[in-house]
Amino acid sequence: MYAYVGYLIAALLGLLVISGITFKFNDRRRLLFGTSVTIFAAILIISLVSILYGVDVYLFGLLHIYQFSLLFVSLFSFAFILVEILGYGSDNFELFNMFVGIAAAGVFLVVMAYSILTIFIAIELVSISTIMMIMTGGKRSVESATKLFILSSISISVFAFAMVLMLPYDGTLSLSLLSMNSSIGGDYIILLSMLMFIAALSIDASLFPFNLWVADVYQGAQDYVTPMLSGINKKVAFVALIYILFIVFASYSHISSVILEVVAVATMFFGNLVAMVQSNVKRMFAYSSISQAGYILIGITTFSAYGLEASVFQIFAHVFMTIGAFAIVMWMESKGIRSVDDYKGMEHRNFWAFSSLTLIMLSMAGIPPLMGFFGKFLLFSSAISSGLLALAFIGIINSFISIYYYGKLISSMLRDTDKGFFYLGRNVRIVVYLCLIAIIAFGVYPHPLLSVISKSVSSLIH
Amino acid sequence: MILIPIMMLVLLAAVVGEYIIPERHSRALGAIASGIVLLLSLYLILAFNSMTAVQTTFSVSYISSFGIDLSFVLSNISVILVLLASIVSFAAVIGGNPGGERRRASNALIMLFELAAIGFFTSGNLFILFIFWDVGVVSAFFMINYLGSGGARSSAKNYLIYSIFASALLLFGIMMIYFYTPVHSFNLSTIEASGASIPIWVQETIFALLLIAFFVKMPVFPLHSWMSDAYSDASTQGSMVLSGILSKFGAYGVFILFLMLPISHTYAKYILIIAIVSALYAAFNAMVQSDLKRMAAYTSMIESSLILVGIAAYNSFGSEGAVYGMLAYGLAASLMFLSVGSIEFTFGSREIAAIKGAVKSASASVYSFLIALFGSTGVPITAGFIADLFIFIGSYQSYGFVGLIPIASLVMMGGYLYYAVDRSFLSTFKHSHPVRIEYWHWDMGYAVLVAAIIVFGILPSILIGLR
Repeated sequence: MYAYVGYLIAALLGLLVISGITFKFNDRRRLLFGTSVTIFAAILIISLVSILYGVDVYLFGLLHIYQFSLLFVSLFSFAFILVEILGYGSDNFELFNMFVGIAAAGVFLVVMAYSILTIFIAIELVSISTIMMIMTGGKRSVESATKLFILSSISISVFAFAMVLMLPYDGTLSLSLLSMNSSIGGDYIILLSMLMFIAALSIDASLFPFNLWVADVYQGAQDYVTPMLSGINKKVAFVALIYILFIVFASYSHISSVILEVVAVATMFFGNLVAMVQSNVKRMFAYSSISQAGYILIGITTFSAYGLEASVFQIFAHVFMTIGAFAIVMWMESKGIRSVDDYKGMEHRNFWAFSSLTLIMLSMAGIPPLMGFFGKFLLFSSAISSGLLALAFIGIINSFISIYYYGKLISSMLRDTDKGFFYLGRNVRIVVYLCLIAIIAFGVYPHPLLSVISKSVSSLIH
Repeated sequence: MILIPIMMLVLLAAVVGEYIIPERHSRALGAIASGIVLLLSLYLILAFNSMTAVQTTFSVSYISSFGIDLSFVLSNISVILVLLASIVSFAAVIGGNPGGERRRASNALIMLFELAAIGFFTSGNLFILFIFWDVGVVSAFFMINYLGSGGARSSAKNYLIYSIFASALLLFGIMMIYFYTPVHSFNLSTIEASGASIPIWVQETIFALLLIAFFVKMPVFPLHSWMSDAYSDASTQGSMVLSGILSKFGAYGVFILFLMLPISHTYAKYILIIAIVSALYAAFNAMVQSDLKRMAAYTSMIESSLILVGIAAYNSFGSEGAVYGMLAYGLAASLMFLSVGSIEFTFGSREIAAIKGAVKSASASVYSFLIALFGSTGVPITAGFIADLFIFIGSYQSYGFVGLIPIASLVMMGGYLYYAVDRSFLSTFKHSHPVRIEYWHWDMGYAVLVAAIIVFGILPSILIGLR
């Protein structure tokens, strides 16, 4: 009977794409917006209910709908609602809505994938629609879109090559433990394949050596696309990484753990140290989101249920924080408030913008009782519980470094100015409200979310 | 103990209320909320001896998968510190910033800080303790940065970097404690019971991490460089709570560190050395200051060092003296900062040389300053006397005459300050002209703090007799 849930979600996704495409030729924006948000809300509710009932179905041999995937379906459908609200005021809303529909289909397919092939196709779907979305932003966005296009094509070709390397050993390409792993234990081809999977997904997840594109693309993209880039696209790559490393290459965790440790340390230091010297606020947040990717990786490196819970919690936290932060920052950017000095006196000009941005930044820096603190607490303690004391210490030192640039911006916002009131758009305010509620509620009382996450994680790791 | 969460809820409601009500009612709201908290904490002191162990504990399940409870435990130490926090905050709210500028934000931050302090001093759980620690740190940051004057931006940055560094070490230490105790617990009582079974090298690491974190907050010699700038650039209310309450976060932390880890007592003598160096260093520094507020800052650093001497003595006299010292010095330091802030406002300067004969035109402020001075140097009938007495009896018992060296710092500070005050404030033949007149609301702040200093100096049995 639970299979119907799967069909229902699949049907809703189809509806989303079709309505996005057909309604593009309709200029009634409110209808477009209403349809999309309703569908996302329906998916959100269905997935939440299904988590509670413990749904576990396979669909067409390509999709696996169970608690872990439903958890991310609910997260991303909420995130897509936020993105839709942000994009509602824009000139190109019809186009944007269409690409959001296609990207959402891709995102949900990645999350529900039961085959590496599904992940491959769905990630491609997400990248292409995101690139098209950025393209619609006019001249200044074309450079970003091109950059993203080149990088995603590199990523996708590396991914394809990794799949090809794996194919002789695992003919099905399904997301199950690599078959025959006992006989091919030390085969370098398999290790090469795993390494290439990590590399391919690192590009999307903005992990260390492959993250130089992040700041440029975030800066060039429109104000409603950047939150989506950092809130959704990046997290999808993490989900794919979790699937591939935790399921397919589970018996190689001792090797991938070492690789990811190095990558995590490098990513955290890179993001934080580069963010320290940025004067443009948007680039600062872009680099800080890189460092957050490093934190998320800490939980994955431990290869324990506890570590995975921590990573998933931090993914949740960072989705809310980054969408909220970029919503405000991008609005400011579009009004010509760009550098740290331009933020001077924001406390006088718009107290609400100041206090919400401050709360979000404090949460990013890991100050309790906000959600970011609890995520970091889980991550570092998972590292300690797996005996990775040094990794936890480096993480903590990094979150100490990050207070420098957040403090610089807060300090600048508190300075006196003679400029007048500053208006924050209504859709930005709604989005930031929703994000702040999540950040504060799950920070003060993380228990409900944590119990749902641990239930879902235990459905992934049996 | 249901009263602790009630206090916090009252304060939280007042913090929210400050953003709703108009500016002119701000002080009234703050006074009501912190007054209620003060009355409740006085009740706690009086009722404490008749309470059973069950009555002093409040605990609800918070994050059950980690065994983290939202638990507040009232011990004989924490009840005194809650009293300190509520007296200082009440005085800060009714005394107000001399100029009365940005009143709502200032009062809201004071009450947020008071909430954090009460939570920190009573939490029976290291996780909750850390949360309140950080809330306190961040609200103090805004007191310096937003409400401060002079070089407030850079001193706030300095303060934040030091404090977050301390927080990072504290968090790391707490997580290590959790994973290396055999039962995996954050509960203070559990850790105290099973602290001996933590491996020695882990205990040493945790001890070092937490000690650095708490020394930053106290502040103690090598980690103090944020202190003088932060205290002197913060708003008057800000420096009152910074010196009166926030520095006691560190002292209380060292206290519970000694309770948790059995290895601490082997390092007690090194802590004594640090405390002696710190006290003398601060005394020499206080002697060269021409700025009243900076001088007060170094005075409070001497007092922090004396508290550390009491803790390092590691006997009942020393501990009693340290706890009493937290109260007495906290009250004295905040009274000193309130009067200095008012004198600065009245005369437009805080250079000692520029305030000649202040006693004539700002008598209340000057007399309060003198009482604060008496309290800091341990003159009898002030609470500081009892604290000094106990601390030095304790340290003499443990370390002999070496334990009495810190008295030198008191003598140096007292000698310099009495001389300076005599030449400037009490000067009878030269008069600086006040720029502004005194306000009546300062006197209420003085009255509360002076009364507390004298009452706890004359009747120490109220607090010493606690179990």
